[in-house]
Amino acid sequence: MPESDARHLTFKLVYYGPAQSGKTTNLLRLHDLLAPELKGEVMTMETKDDRTLFFDLLPLGFRAPSGLLIKFRLFTVPGQVAHDGTRKAVLSRADGVVFVADADRAQETNNGESFQSLAANCARVGLDFDHLPLVVQFNKCDLPNAVPEAEIRDRWSAAPWPLVFAVALTGQGIELTFEHLLRTVYRNFGQKLELQAKHGLSEDAFVAGALRKAA
Amino acid sequence: MTLGFDREWQLGELLDTSSHEKIGPALSELLGGDFAITDDAGKTFWGQPSPDARREALILELEPIGYLLSRSAPASALMAARNLMLVLLRAQIRFKMASTLHLESVAEDFESLKREHARLSESETRYKTLSTELDARVKKQVGELEERQQMLYEAEKLASVGQLAAGMAHEINNPLGFVRSNLSTFEKYVGKFAEMKNAQGAAAASWQALDLDFILEDSIDLLHDSAKGMERIARIVADLKAFSNVDRASEEYADLNNCLHEAVSMVQTQLPAGINFRFDLLPLPSIVCLPGHINQLFFNVIRNAILAIKDAGRPGEVKISSEADDEGILVRIHDTGVGMTKEQLEHAFEPFYTTRPVGGGVGLGLATARNVIQAHSGRISLDSQPDVGTTVTMYFPTPS
Repeated sequence: MPESDARHLTFKLVYYGPAQSGKTTNLLRLHDLLAPELKGEVMTMETKDDRTLFFDLLPLGFRAPSGLLIKFRLFTVPGQVAHDGTRKAVLSRADGVVFVADADRAQETNNGESFQSLAANCARVGLDFDHLPLVVQFNKCDLPNAVPEAEIRDRWSAAPWPLVFAVALTGQGIELTFEHLLRTVYRNFGQKLELQAKHGLSEDAFVAGALRKAA
Repeated sequence: MTLGFDREWQLGELLDTSSHEKIGPALSELLGGDFAITDDAGKTFWGQPSPDARREALILELEPIGYLLSRSAPASALMAARNLMLVLLRAQIRFKMASTLHLESVAEDFESLKREHARLSESETRYKTLSTELDARVKKQVGELEERQQMLYEAEKLASVGQLAAGMAHEINNPLGFVRSNLSTFEKYVGKFAEMKNAQGAAAASWQALDLDFILEDSIDLLHDSAKGMERIARIVADLKAFSNVDRASEEYADLNNCLHEAVSMVQTQLPAGINFRFDLLPLPSIVCLPGHINQLFFNVIRNAILAIKDAGRPGEVKISSEADDEGILVRIHDTGVGMTKEQLEHAFEPFYTTRPVGGGVGLGLATARNVIQAHSGRISLDSQPDVGTTVTMYFPTPS
């Protein structure tokens, strides 16, 4: 459940996925592409050889017609297997998750294992995986040995989550991924938080507020 | 958990009082004396903010967490001070978030280890229990096998002893019959010889010379002794026959309380002084049984009780009680006699085991008793303490 007081509402959104699938790149691109009312710097905690050790954080925010400040705090988890404890701690209290998979055919096993760990860690930190807003992004679709989109769609056809094909380096599919997540989050919490009824915020306005383009 | 690494950190959490006391004077000096630090709620950390002061917001994420205020400093100087302060705060928040996250993840790793440990302990316990159970089960089954084997052995022993006893009883009974009959005929013949006593003349003289008066008298005594001996042999043979079930009687409905009374009346004729009977008989359902055998059984046990009291050489009491529940009938015969040692208890049901001197008992009383009980699908057990007494408990199941 998002944290809220009378004037603030904070959504914690987590980019989860196997090592080097492009979670941090997703955040960096969003920072470049978006210009919502409020935008903070990407805070990168610590890296070792360009790999996230703790997490990255990108804060975004806008004001609803009612004056309520809606904040999004986008986190990435460390992808490496060894950092499972950190991953769990970052994942806890998440209101939505983007699973960033690596479209490279050689990474299929890593994708599978990471997705399993997401489901298991959700249970450990008390998140209901079945009802968690989740978007699955296949990144690096431009790689020569990437699994073709049709094959992935076929394989995931039974899954309930939106699929997005992205190239994070160029920004392709990055906003779409975020938009899918925002819509799922709105549908999941909007009613309970009375976003429409009390704050005059429709789903489209919610998405538009967060996704306002940089000029 | 409200104190997670991902909470929105307040100025007061990022910089403690001593930090403010170092930063405050330094910035004061740089900004020309008038300087203050407050957080977003207006709480002052350094200096004395005046309402008309210029202020610069400290924004780490989206919203100000605090302000720098100065009335005297130029705008550019205050902004420079804010930028300096932000560099400080960013370093601080990175450190705070990283260390808090590290603690959380260590705790999480520790939790994982604990879970793993608990799982391993549990499985270890399970295997331990399993192995203990297995051990106990093997022991139990070995015990059962040994017991069965012992029972089989006992049963075969009893069967062969029974056959031997039946054969012997039959073989002894025949000569016994004619010896008894001959003895009584011989006694009549001796009576005829006595008539010679009243003869006259030479016959009378030789009567005297041969002391036939004494011989005649002694002959009669000897014959009576022999007859008694024969009777004893006959009784032993009868016991043997009962033990080996040679004379099978027919089954009847009987009240075991009646059987107890009959058995007591048989022993009462030869009851030594100082022995009392006490009855505590509750109403019993009639059961199908062999009343003759049951009488024999009770007789044997009661006789043992009396002998045990006699052996103790003091007055005593035989307490006979009976009761019934849904499943069967329980008869207890308790005496306050000499009791039995552990070794005696072990052998008590063995045929021909006796503690009495030769001629005192054959050692078939309890063996017969057990045979009778087993023939009625019941159980018999002994509970005894030397010098305190013995309780014989007999259980007869009633058909449900």
